[in-house]
Amino acid sequence: MKKILLLLSVLLTTVTFGSVKVDATYATMGVIAKKVGGDLVDVTVLGSAKYDPHFIVPKPSLIAKLRRADLLIINGGGLELGWLPPLLRAAHNAKIRNGAKGLLDMSHFVPMIDVPASVSRAFGDVHAQGNPHYSTDPHTVLIMAKAIAGKLAQIDPEHAQAYQQNLAEFSKEWQAYLEKFDAKMATCKDKKVIQYHQLFNYFLNRYDYKSYGTIEPLPGIAPSSKHTIQLINIIKENGVHMILQDIYHEKKTAKFIAEKTGAKVEVIPHDVGADGSKTLEEFYNTIAKRICH
Amino acid sequence: MKKTLCLSLFAFTSLFADADLERLNEQVQQLQMQVETLNTKSAQAVNTSASFSQNAYLPEIALILNMSAVSRDVSNNDYANFALPGFIPASTAPLPFNKDKGFNFNYAEVAMHSVVDPYFEAFTIFHLQPNEFEIGEAYVQTTALPYGLRIRAGKFKSHFGRINSKHQHSWNFDSQPIIYEALFGPDAISDAGVQLQWVAPTDTYIMAGVEAMQGSNDRSFGDTDNGNSLYVGYVKSSVDVGEDLSILAGVSLAHGKNVDALDGSSNPTNIYGVDLTLRDQLGSYSALIWQSEYLYRNKDLGTRKDKQAGLYGELVYQYNNNYSAGFRYDAITQNDTDLTAYAGIDTDNLDRYTAMLEYKPFPMSRLRLSYTYDRTKIMAGERKDMNEVMLSLNIATGAHGAHNY
Repeated sequence: MKKILLLLSVLLTTVTFGSVKVDATYATMGVIAKKVGGDLVDVTVLGSAKYDPHFIVPKPSLIAKLRRADLLIINGGGLELGWLPPLLRAAHNAKIRNGAKGLLDMSHFVPMIDVPASVSRAFGDVHAQGNPHYSTDPHTVLIMAKAIAGKLAQIDPEHAQAYQQNLAEFSKEWQAYLEKFDAKMATCKDKKVIQYHQLFNYFLNRYDYKSYGTIEPLPGIAPSSKHTIQLINIIKENGVHMILQDIYHEKKTAKFIAEKTGAKVEVIPHDVGADGSKTLEEFYNTIAKRICH
Repeated sequence: MKKTLCLSLFAFTSLFADADLERLNEQVQQLQMQVETLNTKSAQAVNTSASFSQNAYLPEIALILNMSAVSRDVSNNDYANFALPGFIPASTAPLPFNKDKGFNFNYAEVAMHSVVDPYFEAFTIFHLQPNEFEIGEAYVQTTALPYGLRIRAGKFKSHFGRINSKHQHSWNFDSQPIIYEALFGPDAISDAGVQLQWVAPTDTYIMAGVEAMQGSNDRSFGDTDNGNSLYVGYVKSSVDVGEDLSILAGVSLAHGKNVDALDGSSNPTNIYGVDLTLRDQLGSYSALIWQSEYLYRNKDLGTRKDKQAGLYGELVYQYNNNYSAGFRYDAITQNDTDLTAYAGIDTDNLDRYTAMLEYKPFPMSRLRLSYTYDRTKIMAGERKDMNEVMLSLNIATGAHGAHNY
């Protein structure tokens, strides 16, 4: 009897009935997909929020996840370029191949900022399509939710109405949250920051913060002493009090700069789950709590 | 009736604050302007030269350069004519990588990828050596087959084992594991053929594949007189232990035919391989990686049956995005064959030790310093243990795709 039960449970985990299998490359999009899809979808997040989103390890176990997906939601803007294409190729899943109905590139919906006029690797690891780290801005959540609802309706037309309804409910809920959030952000006084990587530009732009520089001299290039000294001078000259540090880069340089300038290091999450947050609200609240002074 | 209508209309308009009206007017004006600009745009010819331009369909092109500086305690001539007892007779080994003391320019590799149509994508790797042009790989593969299937056709590197399908620039060490060099040579199993792969629809990654290839590699196979003679099959699976430790394991079989050089008779060769890779992610940029393979060859030569085997194990510690260090041990573990040509020479314990230190200023460039203590070679008629220090430089430019796990 136990054996049969075990066999059944194995079978059940393998074959889930009636639901759309959604893979999301990062957690924030995964959480939004769950909000919009509800019980009708089965969401898997591929890239752990623990790690630098540019450098997710292409574990073969991810191929198995991609193999059975009906829909793959990617951040786009080149963020997955270093790890996803070989996995996608190895998954042999025609539903989510490039050009298929089941591939949703969110960067096609979000207005991208920091789009470089010219692109060369001499400028470091710049993304030709613009800054891909848009999910730090809580206002993009609605754009993402709408795009996901539209895509789900296309893939699973039977439940199109349910997705629309979920979207309407979630949008209302999120609008209310945004109103409160924006009001809170309007009270922040100190709006001068530096950051490790240009990771929070969407959030900073939204709430009129000014970023005076990055700890890495160029995107994807490790800090150098020369650049660090320049940055220390910039911080002193402009009266910057905040260093925005992500959870995955080394923290030594930020601490060193803090010691020399008296600025404070604030660790800011880049994705849901990056600092233990489980919901969208917790994620954005943490950013606000640490950035708003 | 008219009166009430007029009155209500009056009441209605007076309800509108002046500010609202102004705002609406502004909006209407803005919209009009937008329509006008759109109209003029659609009337203007934006680009008159692109009618027949096909630039958007050009393949993604990457260029890989590989070079080195080498120091060895044996002469270039002795090194070029080495023998590996039981596998490689003296003076027959092709040495495409790092052959000479001093500077070596190994290759420039042009890799192209392009989407053919909604059903196929094509890959081509031109391997250019200073005096040689070689099509390293050139194949098409399907992108839209159902049931987790994929078919590949062309010239390609077999997915036998772990390192066989990887190109030199993506190996953890600059030299090929000795058992691969012994059984196949520098290109490993690379041939014209077709491949069918299937990924199982399970929670655990399981991939199975079969390949039919020409079998022109005469180190182990070589019988191509009666059509293709090489068949390869493998199963690979991977599990994660927690979030950070991933394990990949595989078993492979290559079944082909070898040709006797003297009487031309054809006999079967079977090669069995097992591989195991572990990767423990210590942080975003830091990991501990173990990779190992064991290969066993059973080569029927008609008059006798050779049983030979070898293995390698390598441990790489990636400290951060810039620095890595690693150690590899590789060896011939079994060599039951005719060794009378090496009478009086010690042919036991053929093994090699390699240590490396890697520096990557940026993901596209890599400097690697390695030290090798090689105890596998017979040179100028005697067993000669060799020391080698090498600094290699590898550059990947252009649209270079991400590497596999």
